[in-house]
Amino acid sequence: MNRPARRITLEAWGRRYDELCAAGLCEPDYGGPLARHVDDGDLRLCKLAMDDSAAALRLWNFLLTEDDRLRRARAGGARIVGTMKDLGTVPVMAYSLDDVVAFYPDGAWWIPCVMERTAGLLEIADSLGIDDSFCPVRAMLGAFVNEAHFPIPDLLTCSVGATCDDLSAIAQRLEALGHPVVWWEIPHRRRPDAGEDAVRLPGRFVAPRRQVDFVRRQLEGVAAALADLAGQSLDDERLAAGIRRANRVRRLLDELRQLAFTAAACPLPALEMLIAEMLAIHFCSDPNESIAVLEALLGEVRRRVAAGVGILPAEAVRVFWVNPVADLRVMNLLEDAGGRVCGTEYLFCHALDPIPDDLAPMEALAQMALADPMVGSPADRASRICADARRFGAEAVVISRIPGASHCAMEGAVLGAAVRQRLGIPVVEIEVPPISDAVEPALRTRLEALIETAKDHGSR
Amino acid sequence: MICAGIDAGSRTIKVVLLDAGNSRVLASGIADQGIEQNDLALGLLGRLLDEQGLRRGDLRRVVATGYGRKLIDAADERITEITCHGRGVRHLLPETRSVVDIGGQDSKILRLNGDGNVADFVMNDRCAAGTGRFLEVVATRLGVRLSLLGELASRSRRPAAISSMCVVFAETEIIGLLASGTSPEDIAAGVQRAIASRVASMAGASLATPIAFTGGVALVPGMDRALESALGKPVAIAPDPQTTGALGAALLAAQRRPESR
Repeated sequence: MNRPARRITLEAWGRRYDELCAAGLCEPDYGGPLARHVDDGDLRLCKLAMDDSAAALRLWNFLLTEDDRLRRARAGGARIVGTMKDLGTVPVMAYSLDDVVAFYPDGAWWIPCVMERTAGLLEIADSLGIDDSFCPVRAMLGAFVNEAHFPIPDLLTCSVGATCDDLSAIAQRLEALGHPVVWWEIPHRRRPDAGEDAVRLPGRFVAPRRQVDFVRRQLEGVAAALADLAGQSLDDERLAAGIRRANRVRRLLDELRQLAFTAAACPLPALEMLIAEMLAIHFCSDPNESIAVLEALLGEVRRRVAAGVGILPAEAVRVFWVNPVADLRVMNLLEDAGGRVCGTEYLFCHALDPIPDDLAPMEALAQMALADPMVGSPADRASRICADARRFGAEAVVISRIPGASHCAMEGAVLGAAVRQRLGIPVVEIEVPPISDAVEPALRTRLEALIETAKDHGSR
Repeated sequence: MICAGIDAGSRTIKVVLLDAGNSRVLASGIADQGIEQNDLALGLLGRLLDEQGLRRGDLRRVVATGYGRKLIDAADERITEITCHGRGVRHLLPETRSVVDIGGQDSKILRLNGDGNVADFVMNDRCAAGTGRFLEVVATRLGVRLSLLGELASRSRRPAAISSMCVVFAETEIIGLLASGTSPEDIAAGVQRAIASRVASMAGASLATPIAFTGGVALVPGMDRALESALGKPVAIAPDPQTTGALGAALLAAQRRPESR
């Protein structure tokens, strides 16, 4: 494979699609040209640069057809579960049952970006008293009201406690609007006291045994609600099978990240990597297809790495990215500025770690839930970020902030200080609104300055 | 060989002409920013060249910096104001380890390493909090010219407490303070103190000395003292603080290989 890999515009994707079809492209039932999503209102695609591979096409089409998939599942008799404020635990349980489909309503926070605010979701949230002092995840509230982006779930779960205050408030507003929620509580992860029985969690954190036991009991309550909904028992055997499948997704992502972040020439754009990583937490409503999508992407990356093909200049500065962005365009911006993503912590790095398969399934899931970076201290999170940034050879770090989001309002300073002190590399903190066009020059300046500084810093 | 640096800032455009052979500044100028940024920059550049008896063809290389750098057609290269300010300060005050730059629409702090290169930086949020624009709004509200704001503040006996750094909210606060009888002198001093305090908070716990102060706000009398007080460290205003970025751009232009034009 000697064809150069490129990032191309949507317009160029039209021609590329014709080329791929002429070359015998085989697509799943959700396939098709990307431009059709613009007709559905996904206007932001027109401003993005996307990878030009068939694997990336499949990834984008998979992402942008989730609503169709959910509605088809409902029409086919499946029960639908909305797993709010859950980064990779309850979906694993839900997908362990037959004819149950889980999705992540919070994912609606990207709709104002992808549809360039034409869907009016934020305005609906405003009208319900959830204004722009809240995280953009308030778009979810609008999506529940207008029912245009996902079907209303048969069961809604939501974690509460040491999680995002904004989302808790929004979910409570949702319940007040007549959508009952099965709440489960997650405590703030703390270090065990001296002599206290402790558990080493995935992701190198440690928590008191009593916290793990508490979370396990909370999850058992969720499991009972799921079993009631499905009319099936959620026993250990089913859960173990569900965990094995989730781990397959996680291992594929682990290999993809390892290859993409460490290759001499960057083999896959940051944007596609971000979307691929998101599959770890919600499977885009189809775990088996997630595996197929990731296998295709991994195959493409393996081919590119073997051929030494990259989508960016070899001298691109290696940047570790913290927190997801509200506007996907900013991932392009970093690459336009001369950077490449070589490591990420999008607030769900625990969902990229394999779920322990040598423990009782509910114990393993409880441990994973407690390993969530958002339920511990920023210092814990900083430790993992520094370790991963060092492992991937980062030359600079971007800490992205989500306007109004309570979980990252103050954390950036702690994370930035830790990176500066432990790694001695430049850090920049940026705030990215759902549509960043008006602040693009300011964002571009910060990212370009980071790249220039990293180049000077390393005397490249 | 002549090089030029153009700093297309949010409020003003600055141009520096440099003799690349000896890094001597031949001329510098400042013009108000406007919608046609490229035309304004070219006009200023042309005027400075004329004054020196030079032509465009005499320019070996041009580097543009600042908010509007992408719009400057004459530029051979575009480099951010972070790098350019660092380079300019390194030239003017080589011992400097930290730079506080407060411009029209943003403020930034640069940490320089032992070689004088930028090791790290922080910038304010995307709003105009604690910037020159903020001072302009305050001056307008107090009915004085911006250039006289510092003098007004120097007559303060008890600087007012300004709690908001948002331009819009602060204006409301100022209206309230005026209505409650607080003197314009105390309000002006309170605003200076608030800006300095915000910069100090942005700087974090440690800011290595010597510290240089650049940007148009450095020209406001008393701002350096307010900054020193907030940082608890001495602050030196860079020579011609408004043109430091343009100077850095010109120096970087001179540093590049001639064949790359």
